[in-house]
Amino acid sequence: MKRMSKLNKIAILAVLSIGLFGMFLQSCQKGEKATTDKVTELLGGGATFPYVLYSKMFDVYHQKTGMKVNYQSIGSGGGIRQIKEKTVDFGASDAFLSDEQLKDFNAPILHIPMCLGAIAITYNLPDNPQLKMTPEIITDIYLGKIKKWNDPQIKALNPDVKFPNLAINVVHRSDGSGTTFGFVDYLCKVSDEWQTKIGRGTSVNWPLGLGGKGNEGVTGLVRQTPGGIGYVEVIYAKQNGLPVATIKNKSGNFVSPELSAITKAADTQIPTDTRVSITNTEASDGYPISSFTWLLVYQEQNYNNRSEERAQALVNLLWWMIHDGQQYASALNYAPLDPKVVKLAEDVIKSIQYNGKNILK
Amino acid sequence: MNKTSFRRIKNDTYKLGLILLTIISTVPFLLILFFVIKNGIAVINWEFLTSLPKPIGENGGGIINGLIGTGILIIIATIIAIPIGIITGVYLAEYPNNLLSNSVRIVSEIFQGVPSIVVGIIAYFWLVKPMGHFSALSGSFALALILLPMIIKSTEEMVKLVPADIKEASLSLGVPYYRSILKVIIPASLSGILTGALTGIARISGETAPLLFTAFGDSFFNINIFKPISSLPLLIFNYSISPYQAWWAKAWGISFLIVIFILILNILTRILYKKI
Repeated sequence: MKRMSKLNKIAILAVLSIGLFGMFLQSCQKGEKATTDKVTELLGGGATFPYVLYSKMFDVYHQKTGMKVNYQSIGSGGGIRQIKEKTVDFGASDAFLSDEQLKDFNAPILHIPMCLGAIAITYNLPDNPQLKMTPEIITDIYLGKIKKWNDPQIKALNPDVKFPNLAINVVHRSDGSGTTFGFVDYLCKVSDEWQTKIGRGTSVNWPLGLGGKGNEGVTGLVRQTPGGIGYVEVIYAKQNGLPVATIKNKSGNFVSPELSAITKAADTQIPTDTRVSITNTEASDGYPISSFTWLLVYQEQNYNNRSEERAQALVNLLWWMIHDGQQYASALNYAPLDPKVVKLAEDVIKSIQYNGKNILK
Repeated sequence: MNKTSFRRIKNDTYKLGLILLTIISTVPFLLILFFVIKNGIAVINWEFLTSLPKPIGENGGGIINGLIGTGILIIIATIIAIPIGIITGVYLAEYPNNLLSNSVRIVSEIFQGVPSIVVGIIAYFWLVKPMGHFSALSGSFALALILLPMIIKSTEEMVKLVPADIKEASLSLGVPYYRSILKVIIPASLSGILTGALTGIARISGETAPLLFTAFGDSFFNINIFKPISSLPLLIFNYSISPYQAWWAKAWGISFLIVIFILILNILTRILYKKI
């Protein structure tokens, strides 16, 4: 008898919880319907590199406008994939889409530059001296031609530094990444040998070296390996207290990856769709391994039954990010856009449409 | 005499070796526990548990979004997996050798070995793509798929342990078959079934891979299961790969929370298990 009442209790509890769950579901659906009238949330995903800046921007934007922008750092590849599948309002990528990639999309996609980043050459030597590097030396190290830190070429360039007889431990990324793309894109531009032997890509066939997963992996490997050298987003080298090399740019100046030098790297001819690599540009004070990072949106916003309000909210957000949003970049070690680039970005945003009509007049 | 002392020495040597190896096998676990507690406990405070994340450069901020998210994900996954798992498990134990039960057993055993990231991809193609957006529901579904074979297995084993005499006694008293199952067999193995369920929940509470492309994550407070939702393992992942020490500390704090949660579940499991 006692057991029966216990079981009955369990049964009643089960029925109740299922009922409650059903009600919960219904209330959620109602909630969803109510929000379609007024858009309060936007969803985006992609590049890891600008995640910190975007989360700051979206936090401020939420306080100012009440709009919740949910951005998840799933990597540039993931950002491109998800905007293609239309599961997000905007994607984010550190590498712009190639012409072939653009053809894979069934509707025109727009690139809006948001800020600039740079790739630092970092190393692990006794006393961490400040080093100068030329494109030739970097290429030769990554091709395995320069094997020791006390190589005459490195010594000649850095006469004040006492180099130990230490093997150079090359570190690169093991995973596909926008950082690798930026770095090898630069090597391709400065070295024909690299261009023909290795080529470009988010991951390439490295002639030598250790692989680390992510910027954090490469940073860790360089820090633990005496004689190590690696390429990472500047912010990882700075936050971990690693030394950063100054690099000779196309005009022959040695430049360190300071924010102003990164912004200046974009001082070159930029096409109207902003899809451009800014490694090794003519800019005389520009840091040579710099890159834009972009948001990706569809030009025609009426897809998947999206409301015009949602499209408007997205355009407002993009507009805010390239103007007011830029002020948060420097404090977080991101290089803000040059006014010239902002102008180009404005034109791209103005070309966003809903049902063939421009959203911004 | 000489022979016996040699035997004794041999015996003692083996015994010592066994004890040493047993201790060594717990060392990694103890080290992990030590580091997680050492680095994590200082981060835990009321604000950490009850407020939303703040961007880098601002002090404070918490992980309430991940806490709520993981809670919702686990509850829904459990609601989906437990009834189906128990029913299937009972069936497998009651009809151990027909074609259906044999195939179900094989399928569920194979599924238990499928990597969790694959389960995430399945959930992505079955739920996220047709629905057109990420949602907590799709994350729960992925977790439920991982939980299900574990519950089926433990239920089957536990029901099998119930002595046949008890079932026969119930049947011989004229109790219908379905009532014998509901009121005799399941109650008799209930603590074992719950043990299995708790072990399963402990396992899914630390899963990241199946949530990456289903629950997706959310930096704001959300309880709507049709929208993306955050989770603790996802936050650990995001924070630990960042360049900032402030975020590494948060990752330690969250790791501490998850380890404590799993520890509590395991202790509960122990207590339940002793009751069997």
